Amino acid sequence: MLAYLIRRLLYALPILIGVNVITFALFFIVNTPDDMARMQLGVKRVTPEAIEKWKTERGYDKPLFWNTQASGAGQVTDTIFFGKSVKMFALDFGRADDGRDIAREITLRMGPSLAVAVPVFVLGLFAAISFALLLVYFRATYLDFAGVVLCVAMMSVSGLFYIIGGQWLVSKIWHLVPISGYAEGLSAAKFIILPVIISVLAGIGSAARWYRTIFLEEYTRDYVRTARAKGLSERFVLFRHVLRNALIPILTGAVVVIPTLFMGSLLIEAFFGIPGLGSYTIDAINAQDFAVVRAMVFIGSALYIVGLLLTDISYTLVDPRIRLS
Amino acid sequence: MSLLSVRDLSVSIGALRPVDGVSFELERGETLALLGESGCGKSMTALALMRLLPAGGRIAQGTIHFADEDLCRLTEAQMRHVRGGKLGMIFQEPATSLNPVMTVGEQIAEALRFHTGDTRRVVELLAAVGIPDPERRAREYPFQMSGGMKQRAMIAMALAGAPELLIADEPTTALDVTIQAQVLDLLDGLRRERGMAMLLITHDLGVVARMADHIGLMYAGHLVEMAPRAAFFAAPGHPYARRLFEALPEMAQEKRRLATIPGSVPPLGTTFTGCRFADRCSEVLPVCHRELPPWREHGPAHQVRCHLEVRVEQIVRKVGAGETASVGVPAPPPALLTVRELKVHFPIRRGILQRAVGYVRAVDGVDLTLPAGRTLALVGESGCGKTTVGKAILGLQAPTAGEIHWQAEKLQGLAPERMQMVFQDPFGSLNPRMRICEIVAEGRPSVDVARILEQVGLSASMADRYPHEFSGGQRQRIAIARVLAVAPQVLICDEPTSALDVSVQAQILNLLAELQQTLGLSYLFITHNIGVVNHLAHEVAVMYLGRIVERGTVAEVLRAPRHPYTQALLAAVPRIDGRRMDVKVAGDPPSPSNPPAGCHFHPRCPRAEARCREAYPPVVSVSATQSACCFFAK
Amino acid sequence: MKFVLLWSDALFFLLIAAMIAGGVWASRQPHLRASWRKVGQSRVAIGSAAVLAVFFAIAFVDSLHYRPQLPATPQGEVRYSTEVLSALDALLLPLRTQTEKTYSAPLATHLFAKETLDDAGRDFPPLRYPGTHLFGTDKVGQDVLYLTLKSIRTALLIGTLTTLIMLPAAIGLGLLAGYVGGWVDDVIQYLYTTLNSIPGVLLIAASVLMMQVVIDTHPEWFATSAERADARLLALCAILGITSWTGLCRLLRGETLKLRELEYVQAARALGVSSALILWRHILPNVMHIVMIAMVMDFSGLVLAEAVLSYVGIGVDPNTISFGTMINTARMELAREPMVWWSLAAAFIFMFVLVLAANLFADALRDAFDPRASR
Repeated sequence: MLAYLIRRLLYALPILIGVNVITFALFFIVNTPDDMARMQLGVKRVTPEAIEKWKTERGYDKPLFWNTQASGAGQVTDTIFFGKSVKMFALDFGRADDGRDIAREITLRMGPSLAVAVPVFVLGLFAAISFALLLVYFRATYLDFAGVVLCVAMMSVSGLFYIIGGQWLVSKIWHLVPISGYAEGLSAAKFIILPVIISVLAGIGSAARWYRTIFLEEYTRDYVRTARAKGLSERFVLFRHVLRNALIPILTGAVVVIPTLFMGSLLIEAFFGIPGLGSYTIDAINAQDFAVVRAMVFIGSALYIVGLLLTDISYTLVDPRIRLS
Repeated sequence: MSLLSVRDLSVSIGALRPVDGVSFELERGETLALLGESGCGKSMTALALMRLLPAGGRIAQGTIHFADEDLCRLTEAQMRHVRGGKLGMIFQEPATSLNPVMTVGEQIAEALRFHTGDTRRVVELLAAVGIPDPERRAREYPFQMSGGMKQRAMIAMALAGAPELLIADEPTTALDVTIQAQVLDLLDGLRRERGMAMLLITHDLGVVARMADHIGLMYAGHLVEMAPRAAFFAAPGHPYARRLFEALPEMAQEKRRLATIPGSVPPLGTTFTGCRFADRCSEVLPVCHRELPPWREHGPAHQVRCHLEVRVEQIVRKVGAGETASVGVPAPPPALLTVRELKVHFPIRRGILQRAVGYVRAVDGVDLTLPAGRTLALVGESGCGKTTVGKAILGLQAPTAGEIHWQAEKLQGLAPERMQMVFQDPFGSLNPRMRICEIVAEGRPSVDVARILEQVGLSASMADRYPHEFSGGQRQRIAIARVLAVAPQVLICDEPTSALDVSVQAQILNLLAELQQTLGLSYLFITHNIGVVNHLAHEVAVMYLGRIVERGTVAEVLRAPRHPYTQALLAAVPRIDGRRMDVKVAGDPPSPSNPPAGCHFHPRCPRAEARCREAYPPVVSVSATQSACCFFAK
Repeated sequence: MKFVLLWSDALFFLLIAAMIAGGVWASRQPHLRASWRKVGQSRVAIGSAAVLAVFFAIAFVDSLHYRPQLPATPQGEVRYSTEVLSALDALLLPLRTQTEKTYSAPLATHLFAKETLDDAGRDFPPLRYPGTHLFGTDKVGQDVLYLTLKSIRTALLIGTLTTLIMLPAAIGLGLLAGYVGGWVDDVIQYLYTTLNSIPGVLLIAASVLMMQVVIDTHPEWFATSAERADARLLALCAILGITSWTGLCRLLRGETLKLRELEYVQAARALGVSSALILWRHILPNVMHIVMIAMVMDFSGLVLAEAVLSYVGIGVDPNTISFGTMINTARMELAREPMVWWSLAAAFIFMFVLVLAANLFADALRDAFDPRASR
């Protein structure tokens, strides 16, 4: 099993390199640094000097892969590819357009992102599984039917409306919590509670319906009939047999997103003014700060790959068929 | 008062009636076999007794009295105490019928806790069903056990509530014949020991002959005959029963046409007016189409639902007719296809670099010779590598080593004009998206589809239809037509009849025999069914764990087997004359990734000695045609 | 007037033609007939299909573009407006042209804000077309219903063209990986795992940023602003397609792996049928129902995604009328006192109906064609 995990880890490396190459191509090959400078400076005011200055400030004035003017190792290292892409593996992301160190900014903003994302993940999973269990327990009744209709209706509403509606109702009409903002420590709770509830609500429809399908498929298996033939009650069959089997795909499926929780949620953080990585990304996109976007793409991919590894590990832990073979 | 008394039971699923007005009784300590082909309603009857019908199914009418209680009137909570308590049930597929993520011990303990409150008896139960080392096995998960072991565990679970009646729904259909013999012995022993009654659901006449006291024959949702075992096998009353016996390949005179029942079992949802068998019956009377036949006394405790009056004395049925000594077979013609030292190994990859740490030796040095116009049967249990041999010869599977010669020419890869294959599953072997004419013409677009279809007994008018409109037997005919279109000389038939009902199997076997005669085809017939071998083959090769352990003519191998495995295999086949042979084989076949040293069969062999564990036995010639890989063959 | 065929129009017509052809083909396949009958028997499916048909009809009419003729110059030269209109604009002429000065509530008779009037001090000035604006008017007095109807085309284009663009890659690579196996499978798996590991929104954001640079640095490529916006819309579809083909590809790979082992494929191989023909004749037709289900299931997700992306600023051109841009402007209006809520309400209602119908229809299709995947 250890060999298996090491192999998975080794497989992750080429993927990360692939991601790095894709981002590099996207940011430096599709458009030359000159194009980017021209666009950022505004097509009208642009002069060759301004472009050079813009490039030098950001280190984009070097050759892409091979620096003929440098000597020794500098021929490789003193290039855009090395400076902007390879260094990311060492978590050196350079500076944003406002001059701040991106890596430091990321460590500062991880906390608020997690403060929202972790409760959303835990509560969302719990709520969706519970709701799906309820529907499955009353399967093929009107309650089940109504629940499914509710799920479909809920997943047909854009997330934007959940946020706008929630902010309007809870904050503006009822004045229960502040409409947006953030504070350190425990006082963050009053800022976090509304985004968490809204995120859970927005996600429950599709998740619960999907889990219900998994439960129902599990119900068609032969071992369920065996369990009933033993005289076990429906509740026992559901909780001891069906739930146990269905939780394997559900939980291992959920594990993959755990590392990406660090990234926060773009929309929620932007709407609620939470100073996490989500709003950092949004701001960078709006300000066309390429360095930050590049860094976030790299981190996001790396975290997702970690998630894949965690999924493999959790499978080997949860499923006896894999654990013991 | 009978232990179980079912009166006029009907089951409906939507508009369908898979069980229609079934009545029977079962006494304590006796075994009743419900016998029938697929779709006749026997499993549905069993599920109705447990009140475990699938979603949408319900008991439309009738009563089920079990020990003076009407099960239909019990509340669900009361019924739960009956299920697994007084009524135990085991199912067909041990592989899927156990919860994969719970240990076997837990699953048995669950039943014990509910019905007796005493979970300490898990090990005792596992020991009672013959599982060695029960303490350790109780902590194992189902995937760590073999098929036979899982079925034993399932029986242990059904015994947890000390049932008075055990319902066994095709309990051995998914198992190999040597394992089937073990499980049948176990069930019979447990029944006698515990004084249980047993309701056995099966399609296998051999299993019925081995196990049943009474027999209920079902057809299309009806019971059509009720009889004690001896009476049923001596003089079956219903024309359907008589035809079934005649369609059995093991019952036929060797190499003669089998009697067949035209058509196939009517699909669910057919509306009937008269007798449900009338359309396929060779002795049909005008009244059969109009009126449902009444129950008629046929003999003591023997009732038949048929308009035709036949007295027992009139029925002449030869039990074991095929057993007559074989006539001399002419010397085989020169070989058309020769296989030498064929090996197919699949690597087992492990570790960081996925290096092959071992090999599954699916085929491990097989020699075969197939003469023109003859049939060679390759016999073995599941996992012995017989299908892989077929695919490797055909060229679908690249061999690891060995040579295949077509007369003097060495073959490499596919040779579609020479060899073709007929597959097992008539539903998986035809593309549902293609019309029959397209399927038949796939290998050779210029072929005369109408002529080929008529050659396999189908009408040319079917060419424009799609596979889903055909029954299993018809589909198998279409699959044969498809390969005939390229006019091969060798057909590799991979269990072509094992997915078919007995009555349909006979039709396909007759067709194959006919084609061999008219076209001079050679068959490599891969099968586990000894009866089919007896009927169809000229030569037999018996495979065990990737190697051929015995070969010879059919007469030699089936009448005078020399290898202990062949002897055990033949002895394990339940015979419809009810006779039992004493050669028993214990345990499960070992894994082909780690075969035992020496003779592969020695761990299960009753005659094994020290030398058997040391070296693989050489080929020992018994006659000009028969040989076996055993030190004791002489 | 002069007809204008934008690229997205052409693709959209192609798509509709393909859908009709596919529908005719599918309805003639006897093995699919039972499934179609099941769809036809479901009242929910028929209802949602009808709703979707109305939406598609609106989008279709809105895709017939033209440039109106301007009054002839004194020299008799025929000139055309640079403004590209559609048949829908012509049909909705009153809605489009009956603009007010600024905000007005649904079916109101007066403007929403008080103004200093000539005679009677500050009051609500009467509307030019009182009681005609079902969903009121926006900041510049444009009818909100008109804006909503125009948004439909954008939503449908994103929802359908994205899948259309990614389909060849997803099907081709999925079947290839599953059927050929070996290193081809390894390469394709590596490709989609890599693409899949980049968080979707970020990849889209990065790509859209880069696309914007390309478009902005090459203004000479586009004759009208409509063409520019259209190019951006198509580019967005392509980007969404590139980021979303991986799911279908993996699904098809898995299914092909299963089909490859089926006996009819083995039989075809034994008959000497070539791999290309096997893929075309045996594998492809037997995965088409998965492709169809995936297409319908993705549709609603893409419509929702468009709104979010446009809201964040990495979606369609800000000048393109879409649900996302509508919500974006409506958001600011919510903060006004008293609140302007009708733009948001209109966008909400239309989007909800569209996505709900798509979801219900997708469910019905899946139930009918892939009974194992539903209950």
